[in-house]
Amino acid sequence: MSSSSRSKTIKIKEMSGLLVVGSYIRRNWVVYSVGISLVAVGSLVSAQIPRLLGRFTDSLRNGTLGASDISGYVWLIVTIGVARVSAGWCGRILVHRKGRQLTYRLRKELFDKWVTLSPSYYHRNSVGDMISHALSDVEVVRELVSQGINQGASGFAMLLGVIWLMAVHVDWRLTLAGLGPLLFIPLLVKWLGPRIRLQSQRSQEALGAMAQTTEEVIGGIRAVKAFGTEQVVISRFESRVDAIVEEKMHLVHLTALFGSLVPLMVNLGFIFVLAYGGYLVTMKVISLGDFVAFTLYIAMLRQPMEQMGNVLNVVQRSGASLNRIDHLLHAVPEVLDRKALLQDNSLKGALQVKGLSFSYSGSKREVLHDISFSVKPGQTLGIIGVMGSGKSTLADLLLRMYDPPEGTVFIDGVDILQYPLAILRNGIAYVPQDGFLFSTTVLENIAFSDEYPDRQKAERCAKITAVHKNIMGFPDQYDTEIGERGVRLSGGQKQRIAIARMIYKDAPFQIMDDSLSAVDTSTERLILNNLRELSKSHSGSQESSLKVTLIISHRLSAVQHADEIVVLDDGKIVERGNHLSLIAQGGIYAEQWFMQAGKNEDVDLEASTFEAGRDSSQPDLDIEMEALEAGRLEEAS
Amino acid sequence: MTVQSSTRGVFATLFPYIKSHRTKFVLVFGLVVTVVVIDLLQPLLVKEAIDSYVTVSKPDSGAIVRMAALYLGLVLMAFGLTYYQDIVLQRLGLSIVRSIRIDLFKHIQRLALRYFDQNSAGRIMTNVVSDTEALNNFFTQFLANTLRGGFTLVLIMFFMLRLNVTIALNCFLLLPLVIVLAVFFQRKIRAINTQVRHRLGVLIGFLAENLSGMPIVQIFHQEAKQQKRLDLRNKELLQSTILENQFFLLFFNLTELFGDLAIAALVWYGGRGALGGSISFGVLYAFVGYIRRFFQPINTISQQMNTLQSSIVASDRIARTLQEVPDIQELVEAKAPVISGHIKLDGASLAYRPGHPVLQNIHLTIHPGERVGFVGATGAGKTSIMNLVTRFYDVTEGSVVIDGKDVREWPLDVLRQTVGIVQQDVTLFSGTIIDNIRFFRSEIPAEKVREACRLVGAEPFIFRQDRGYETILSERGSTLSAGERQLLSFARVLIFDPRILILDEATACLDSRTEEVLQRAIHRVSAGRTLLVIAHRLSTVQQMDTICVLEQGRIVESGNHSDLLRRQGYYWQLHRAGLLQEEFA
Repeated sequence: MSSSSRSKTIKIKEMSGLLVVGSYIRRNWVVYSVGISLVAVGSLVSAQIPRLLGRFTDSLRNGTLGASDISGYVWLIVTIGVARVSAGWCGRILVHRKGRQLTYRLRKELFDKWVTLSPSYYHRNSVGDMISHALSDVEVVRELVSQGINQGASGFAMLLGVIWLMAVHVDWRLTLAGLGPLLFIPLLVKWLGPRIRLQSQRSQEALGAMAQTTEEVIGGIRAVKAFGTEQVVISRFESRVDAIVEEKMHLVHLTALFGSLVPLMVNLGFIFVLAYGGYLVTMKVISLGDFVAFTLYIAMLRQPMEQMGNVLNVVQRSGASLNRIDHLLHAVPEVLDRKALLQDNSLKGALQVKGLSFSYSGSKREVLHDISFSVKPGQTLGIIGVMGSGKSTLADLLLRMYDPPEGTVFIDGVDILQYPLAILRNGIAYVPQDGFLFSTTVLENIAFSDEYPDRQKAERCAKITAVHKNIMGFPDQYDTEIGERGVRLSGGQKQRIAIARMIYKDAPFQIMDDSLSAVDTSTERLILNNLRELSKSHSGSQESSLKVTLIISHRLSAVQHADEIVVLDDGKIVERGNHLSLIAQGGIYAEQWFMQAGKNEDVDLEASTFEAGRDSSQPDLDIEMEALEAGRLEEAS
Repeated sequence: MTVQSSTRGVFATLFPYIKSHRTKFVLVFGLVVTVVVIDLLQPLLVKEAIDSYVTVSKPDSGAIVRMAALYLGLVLMAFGLTYYQDIVLQRLGLSIVRSIRIDLFKHIQRLALRYFDQNSAGRIMTNVVSDTEALNNFFTQFLANTLRGGFTLVLIMFFMLRLNVTIALNCFLLLPLVIVLAVFFQRKIRAINTQVRHRLGVLIGFLAENLSGMPIVQIFHQEAKQQKRLDLRNKELLQSTILENQFFLLFFNLTELFGDLAIAALVWYGGRGALGGSISFGVLYAFVGYIRRFFQPINTISQQMNTLQSSIVASDRIARTLQEVPDIQELVEAKAPVISGHIKLDGASLAYRPGHPVLQNIHLTIHPGERVGFVGATGAGKTSIMNLVTRFYDVTEGSVVIDGKDVREWPLDVLRQTVGIVQQDVTLFSGTIIDNIRFFRSEIPAEKVREACRLVGAEPFIFRQDRGYETILSERGSTLSAGERQLLSFARVLIFDPRILILDEATACLDSRTEEVLQRAIHRVSAGRTLLVIAHRLSTVQQMDTICVLEQGRIVESGNHSDLLRRQGYYWQLHRAGLLQEEFA
């Protein structure tokens, strides 16, 4: 691509950013034209007050002023005052309100877009960045369409009004002398504004660096104290604080320059008017009234001039924000409903995976390689593997968080790509690894799949996952808020509530992604037992029918009762079978089983039936298991 | 706490810092007054020009130009002075805040672990970062603006009185009105602004949560519900921002209207006076000029009340932290014994909260070079024993004696050199790998660090990093695996070479190869030291000379692995249930 055509595409992009605002203004053109005209009229009218005072001065000086004229002037000033204030007021209200409505709309549109985007998008973009779109970028756009328009309109109108009144009616040279220095103010704002902004960002970053150091030290206070490194840490902190002082002093130099240059310009304008205007009055070229009006204009124009500079900066700044927003609004979700005729039956039957290989786009490495298995309703598949073995990717593919290759994953004999996403996801319930919960009530979390939570059903689900008792111990039981404003949950409680949420959804497919890792082993056993009963029973409570269950775990105890267990390593199935047959195979699974359940020591102690031969270990194992179960029963009774 | 006493707290905290900068403050006052006077001369100059040079029988244009030239000099001076004054004041504020920050941080470093356990990291952070920043605003915003605004107001009143007492007093009648207006609206706007920020916070919180939980939203197919919820919050925010804006516009426009009405009143009153010859036109003009400048300072000052309030709250919090007394203190005549690594807990009890003992009457003797493993469920008291040996906490009863001397009689720094810990969650700071290993003590030679890394087997993975030992760790070493982080902390132990080593074993699931490397490293590191391990793995526990089984703050069993299994007690049960692996849950 040649550089010129590239710059052309960039141009087009910039344009498209502005289109967001342009089309919004076009759609609300009535409000905007009324608002802008009112603001402009208000400013034009206010330019009349110094002129009026000038005329008053002249008639006073000429002795043509009578007592009745005075009240006439007074009423005129009052009328003009009321008129200009109300016009400007109404106009500003209109424009500002529209601007705020635009921020509302943009935030809504952004979120509407975000809910359609797939995980790959979330991988590429940090939540922090996205929040900053919704926060700062949208705010910058609002500044452009409300402050920018208001200040631009009023400043421009006032400047034009003053120039017209003074240059045309009085003396253009005096106008130039007085206004000349003031015209530098917008340029000054434009020149220093971005520098100040940048430097203020830098000092914020310096402050952030200090905060980070503090956070590290507080978080690692045990290590700091244990190694007796308080002095080291203090000097690190000191250097951060010094950096803040330095950055802030840079900022202060800039703001101080700005804060002294702007009044200087105004004062210079005033001095020119005083000297040249005073000379012209004594020479009788202009009247005393005109001179008076001029001096008043100088004071009056200071603020609009600063604002005009601001407008220039906002326009510049908003370009980047608008592009980012526009870019986002046009992001295309990677996972979409297929265009062709789609399956519209809801899911119920079996899951089948045939020769599934997968690599993330942009990467050559196969995360999954030639995976095949099938699970029938009422059955449970266990998927075992260490971190990075691909087991979570498998779950993501079944959920179509990423699209699997065509012809690899089937539900009820139909490629899952043929299902509309809504139907597919309605048919699958899922528990994420971290047991992600929302900061709302426990009830709403469990009943997340429902618009109107069913309390009884939620309680039943919580009982199944052995979290009901914990919940009843919370201050407002099921209505307790979770998170910062309410109770903080332990990892195990979170996971158990997340599993209850899955059960509540009562979907024909259930996927649990390492969702018992923070639950102790005996509770794990209890929950898995309950789940097994639930997914195998045909009748009884509402939440039951034959379900396909996938349990992904790094802990063998979670899958030990599954109908089939596949062991993943580096994206490949390296072993498969049920618990007993895998133990008998004596591979990775068996090794892990003995390590995790702590069996190898027993083997040592009891002079190793294990060593003698793997087959003979199996009956022993069963006896062990029975003993364990019996132990549990004893504890329970 | 009442407002008054907290106000006093602010000044008590700030006063010593301000006192040492007295002369600078006086300088700033002087500069501000000069600058404000020069600015306020303008209406007077025009008045002078009108009354003395224009409306006289023989107009004198030369005098006007001379006057303007003189004023030009003043203006240029004011330009320089404004710039200078701003910098002096801001530098003053920054250096005061700098000292407060450093003092605060040093003080916090002196506090014992109890403080950190009782106060959340977030709270301490707020104290060190935001509270001090609020103090900074006190100097750079509140002081800067109120000084200028206050002097402007006072000087306007002074000039008005000089010009014409009657009109001046009439103008002053406006003051209470303007003040009431400003105070009322500022308070109102502040209240709405708080609401706006709150609602914005709610919206952002909602967004952040939903964005990070987007898979859940999508999988449970609740996009529409969450969109509706966002809309609710978004609309609430919209309403309060519109309200905020309306109040703001109301205030702004009322002030403008007041200005116009005041001018009308001046024209009415002064015009008749001028007509009657009782006042000159120049005086009338000067009043018009001043009345316009009357409102600005009042608004500025009332706006700053917000800053004042938050800096009062902030310095109150800072003062409280500075008053916090460390509850672990070094004995004045503390002297270290000859160190060999012998530990004796003699009836030691510990309660973090009175009446809730976490350790009860622990008797335990560990000989130099002995390796002791501690097992037990979460909350059984394993970590608390370590807290006593490191003297992070002091015993509530009994004593902890190391090498024949109560730890409370040890110099703290020697004790901490003697007792080293390796935590489960390895603490890494942003900085290079080498600095993290030697804990930023640049006096420790790099060669020594390398040797330690070679010994624990950390060097291979360090060389895999972009810049070897000089690689900068980002986000507290999140780019390293749990095993790699452990290795770094082992290298740290070799460098600091403590006689007694406390090891909180990592529970993270590691692949068998890393596991092997780690086990070898543990061996290397523990050789020749007294070793206390909070164990999570059977393989580690088994190797210990002694295993202490803790339950609810007591040692219920001790002995070596096979002793304990034979006894078929609690250890045996733990072992059976596989809890040794999983108890960290």
